[in-house]
Amino acid sequence: MSDEVNSTEKYISGAPACPGIVIGNTSLYQRVRPRVSDTQIADNETEDHICKFYEVLDIAEEELQALLENADLKESSDLIQMQIAILNDPELRERVEQEIVANNKPVDSAVESIFRNYLKVIHQNHGDTFQNKSVDISDIRDRLLQILHNKRDDIKEGTILVARELSPREIISFSNRDIKGIVTDRGGATSHAAIIARSMNIPTVVGTQKATEVISPGDEVVLDGRNGEVVVYPKKETRKKYKSLMAQQSKKQADFESLCKKPNKTSDGTTFTLQANIEFAEELSIANKYQAEGIGLLRTESIYLSREHFQNIDHQVAFYSSLLELTAPHKVTIRLFDVGGDKFFGDEEKEQNPFLGWRGIRMLLEQPELLKNQLRAIFKTSADFMGRIRILVPMISTTDEINKLKSIIDEIMQELLAEGVDIDENIPLGLMVEVPSVALKANLFAQHADFLSIGTNDLTQYTLAVDRGNERISHLYDQRHPAIWRLIKEVSEAGKQNKIPVSVCGELASDPIAACCLMGLGINTLSMNAVVLPLVKQLLRSNSYNDMQQLADKVLQAETLDDIDRIFSNWEKKE
Amino acid sequence: MIKKKVTIVNDAGLHARPAAALVKLASKFESDFYVHLYGYKVNGKSILGVMTLAAEKGAELELELDGPDEEEATEAITELIGDGFGEVYEDGNE
Repeated sequence: MSDEVNSTEKYISGAPACPGIVIGNTSLYQRVRPRVSDTQIADNETEDHICKFYEVLDIAEEELQALLENADLKESSDLIQMQIAILNDPELRERVEQEIVANNKPVDSAVESIFRNYLKVIHQNHGDTFQNKSVDISDIRDRLLQILHNKRDDIKEGTILVARELSPREIISFSNRDIKGIVTDRGGATSHAAIIARSMNIPTVVGTQKATEVISPGDEVVLDGRNGEVVVYPKKETRKKYKSLMAQQSKKQADFESLCKKPNKTSDGTTFTLQANIEFAEELSIANKYQAEGIGLLRTESIYLSREHFQNIDHQVAFYSSLLELTAPHKVTIRLFDVGGDKFFGDEEKEQNPFLGWRGIRMLLEQPELLKNQLRAIFKTSADFMGRIRILVPMISTTDEINKLKSIIDEIMQELLAEGVDIDENIPLGLMVEVPSVALKANLFAQHADFLSIGTNDLTQYTLAVDRGNERISHLYDQRHPAIWRLIKEVSEAGKQNKIPVSVCGELASDPIAACCLMGLGINTLSMNAVVLPLVKQLLRSNSYNDMQQLADKVLQAETLDDIDRIFSNWEKKE
Repeated sequence: MIKKKVTIVNDAGLHARPAAALVKLASKFESDFYVHLYGYKVNGKSILGVMTLAAEKGAELELELDGPDEEEATEAITELIGDGFGEVYEDGNE
């Protein structure tokens, strides 16, 4: 317990990885590798030790099988399958038994020494490059030793977990231990571990750099997963403030689930569509809970950037199919691979201004095999999901790019048809509106597309000339800037004139008031991070379309961000 | 007993996933299965053994099978390795 007298309130912050507020005492999670006994056992004890070995293998396998059920993603299930194969390795079993019988070693020391031999040979043969992969081998060894020593960890149920770093397997394994929250030193909000925490709905703050230094086991902390803040030794007033926030939140949470079952209609009956932005399959559980109507933006970068699956068509088909199965009967908008050349071809392609450089469709057109393989995978997937896939093209800035892409798409379709592959021949092709010139000439671009989707994150950074990652100027970055509303209006009108749908998939859509504004501008399909769906839905449902149109008129007339702030806060007061 | 040489064709080599696939397939057969490479001989039904080989793309493995279903086993295993464990890349020109 913290010493109330000496402990002053401290704030640490990190990246918000899963929203929600919790107050509680902490436990420290450390990856422990128990020390093994160096004694010898008597001949008549060897049989017991061998039995113990098989018991432990069974326990470890059961744990992994349970984890496997939660592992939607290919990479996580590959890892777990590999660890299961190790537990069933006949040679490992034989060697451990032999070590116990022939050398009178106790089971823990036998396991340790046999694994040490394997790891030694692996390191000799692979050199350092294998370091990454051998982590999974030593991880399973450590787990066996932990079970043998009955030494799980120091996690107490109902506490907030503080850890240096957590692996996806570790987070999944907390699922039945009533963990209230997670704080880590390392990791980002988009790491696989963070995404799993989100799918399990555990309030989480990652990447605090110093949580394990500042927080001791048993300390009381407040964790605010909405903004990434952690308060250590909270003062009475702080605790009180958060307690009342929590009460509000939990009421909201209960309301959320019933709210999400209600129809998507404004108070005067105008319908709208809310979709989720998705990168990993794990994120779908929340999206489904909150009744997202499909995926408005499927980011495909992570499947490419995991090197092992690079360009493998079957893996892509499996990934797309699993998402489509889980989102039936709604549509899934697949955005073509969108990164800069540097992420892909290494440092030699580093550019001075990567955001203004060789990225998105610009790179794809110059890497036709990469593009064609992604298209092949999408079309191969499409036969089983007729009418449900849409393709979205990132970083379009000229109509020439669209024409080139269309001819490549035709080529792939002809190729697959010639091979006798069934495909959906009418997959809509949409353009991401994120370059200001495209928004200004939206009418022209709309004539070349089946739909438009406004990516407000990049559109804002290009329009305001602000790199949001640059801390010195990031205060200048605000997606609600008057100039952005003007551009959005251009795009919305171009969509109407050309009778094609327009949606927004940027962060702007996840601000509930901004969402009302977008509706007022005539955009009634919004795609966002699934966790904010209820908040947006609530506000859209409790206002009339008419009021939203008036709100939109006001923001279009605004001169500065201050004006926008005033308009938004007046609207909030009206609530 | 059958001995047969096969070459690893997938870019990433015999890393974790292919090793797991190889062991899983081999374990379906009754025949004993060994893999020879660079003077090492490992049990092909042992994932840890197979991973110690560090077989990279282009490595030529010698498979050794001995048992009642050695022919079927050889055929199935050769096919798995020859197909690059399902992860051979298209002939990209990057």
